[in-house]
Amino acid sequence: MSTMRVKPFPVPIAGTQLAWKLDHPYTAKHLLIVLVLLTSLIYTGQRTEMDRMVTMTVQAIGKLAGLTDESQVVRGLSRIGQSMWPPEIGEKEEVARLSQFDRNDLPWFSYIEVQERREQRMNLQTLKMDVETERIEYLVKPVGYLWTVFVKMVQTVEIALWGTLLSVLLSIPLAYLAARNYTPSRFTYTLARGSISLLRSAPELIVALFLVLAYGFGPIAGVLALGLHAAGFLGKFYAEDIENADRKPQEALEAIGAGKLKTLWYGVLPQVLPQYIAYTLYILDRNIRMATVIGLVGAGGIGQELKGRFDMFQYDHVATILIAIFIVVFLLDQFSARLRARLI
Amino acid sequence: MLPPVYPSKKLAMIEFHHISKTWPDGTRALSDISLAVPRGQFCVVLGPSGAGKSTLLRAVNGLMRPSTGRVVIDGTELTPATERELRQRVAMIHQHFNLTLRMSVSGNVLAGLLPQVSIGRALLGWFTPAHRARACTLLARVGLAPKHLQRRAGELSGGQQQRVGIARAFMLDPEVVLADEPVASLDPKISRDILTLIRDAARERNTSVLCSLHQVDLAREFGDRIVGMRDGRIVFDGTPARFTDEVVERLYAGAHWEDVAAPSGAEENTLPQGSLLPVSA
Repeated sequence: MSTMRVKPFPVPIAGTQLAWKLDHPYTAKHLLIVLVLLTSLIYTGQRTEMDRMVTMTVQAIGKLAGLTDESQVVRGLSRIGQSMWPPEIGEKEEVARLSQFDRNDLPWFSYIEVQERREQRMNLQTLKMDVETERIEYLVKPVGYLWTVFVKMVQTVEIALWGTLLSVLLSIPLAYLAARNYTPSRFTYTLARGSISLLRSAPELIVALFLVLAYGFGPIAGVLALGLHAAGFLGKFYAEDIENADRKPQEALEAIGAGKLKTLWYGVLPQVLPQYIAYTLYILDRNIRMATVIGLVGAGGIGQELKGRFDMFQYDHVATILIAIFIVVFLLDQFSARLRARLI
Repeated sequence: MLPPVYPSKKLAMIEFHHISKTWPDGTRALSDISLAVPRGQFCVVLGPSGAGKSTLLRAVNGLMRPSTGRVVIDGTELTPATERELRQRVAMIHQHFNLTLRMSVSGNVLAGLLPQVSIGRALLGWFTPAHRARACTLLARVGLAPKHLQRRAGELSGGQQQRVGIARAFMLDPEVVLADEPVASLDPKISRDILTLIRDAARERNTSVLCSLHQVDLAREFGDRIVGMRDGRIVFDGTPARFTDEVVERLYAGAHWEDVAAPSGAEENTLPQGSLLPVSA
């Protein structure tokens, strides 16, 4: 048994003719696959108007280069650009229309502007044109709209924060039940995994749409929509981290009869905490971006303001809102990147 | 050194009654093991890799459920019903220390008390002053310094981590300590220190120790009794004095590789004459 067994090198029997042949790399099957792919691309391309997209883009490039003289795309963009510029920062309201107005106690940084409106009116007695002057007082707040946007933006960030908090609170029990090695039974596992899939598969915007019907316009629907969707995401990732955590410390605590929850707390949580923080920060980041959008269906925050202004064709206000969203998302991105670097 | 004590129903702390274990893949890890360890004894289980030492130790606290046979601890049989209660009396020291590396040293030692701490206190990490004082006493006892308390366990050296592991094991004043290759990944000098710590801490409390080792010299030095294992069977049981070089030779004969199976009949050959195989009633 101890003798070395050497595998014989495969030497052909003398005199046999070796047939060397390397097959053609492509067959009719490959050609068929390519044809099917091409056909479906052309079919769906037409249905999604990809051909028109190409034509219009080429036209637009031609217009910019001065080659063609008409382009729908450039016309549309320049019209929006003109109406959006300059962004609105102030607010001007007729004093007569303000319900609570105290002339001696004006809001900060605001003043009263008087405009005279001249109207020509025919005097019916003299049948001559009289010029009448009407004095209209306006309350001008030079940065009034900026302040409005700021307040709405703060509300948006608050919605995102509460949505994140809610999702963390919901996902902790979900993760415990959805982790194969901690869930009490097969039933709770299936239940938890099922609800995680359900929560994850429902897009925030659509959830918000229904929650607005249930809770009315405002931030409640926004917070719930963000929280529910993110709870599914976090639950799945937390659960997977629990399942993949190092077994050794858990075994040590199991061996002394510490019980499941205490083992999870002392043997698993410290290991997975950095990952948890990373996921949660990602969710916060994502929730702030989503919070600006879900207002479009009436779930509070800056999105609701944006929708209102857009529907009233006040594109200069829209411009201010868009700039504000961009700045906030950029700043929070920087902030969370820094926080992540410090915590992990 | 205490003389080896042989079973007497009154004294036995751990009793194995005809324990066998076959893994789902058909590997026979333990074959009809019967053994009794009296209170206060430092019993070394020695043998080549794959002999079944760890499996035997893990039968004591139920981390491994034997296919047949039963384990009795201080007169109480280990069953799923008694497991939780018995586990609190049986501490374990692990080969890879099994600390939560990202948790502080104090947190790891206090975790040794978890079965006796209310769930609320455990989740908040709010241990009583008595418990905290106990953790400090034990950490001082195993030779760590106050500066280590708030360090992460992962920042310590291997020897220091095992000291934390020992402190954790003694938090519940165990009656049995299972030490599964406690020094396998440590250098010889530190290995001696660690085994001395385990032995002395156990003697102070009259705790039985079941310690698996693969170093013959350490087994001779620290064991009150040596149990030699090979291929899931006990092939030697006696005092270190009886554990001669000749016995060692036969225990390890041909076992240079983990996957080398011993020739059949080797077990009988390695059994030295006059050795006592304890089989409790």
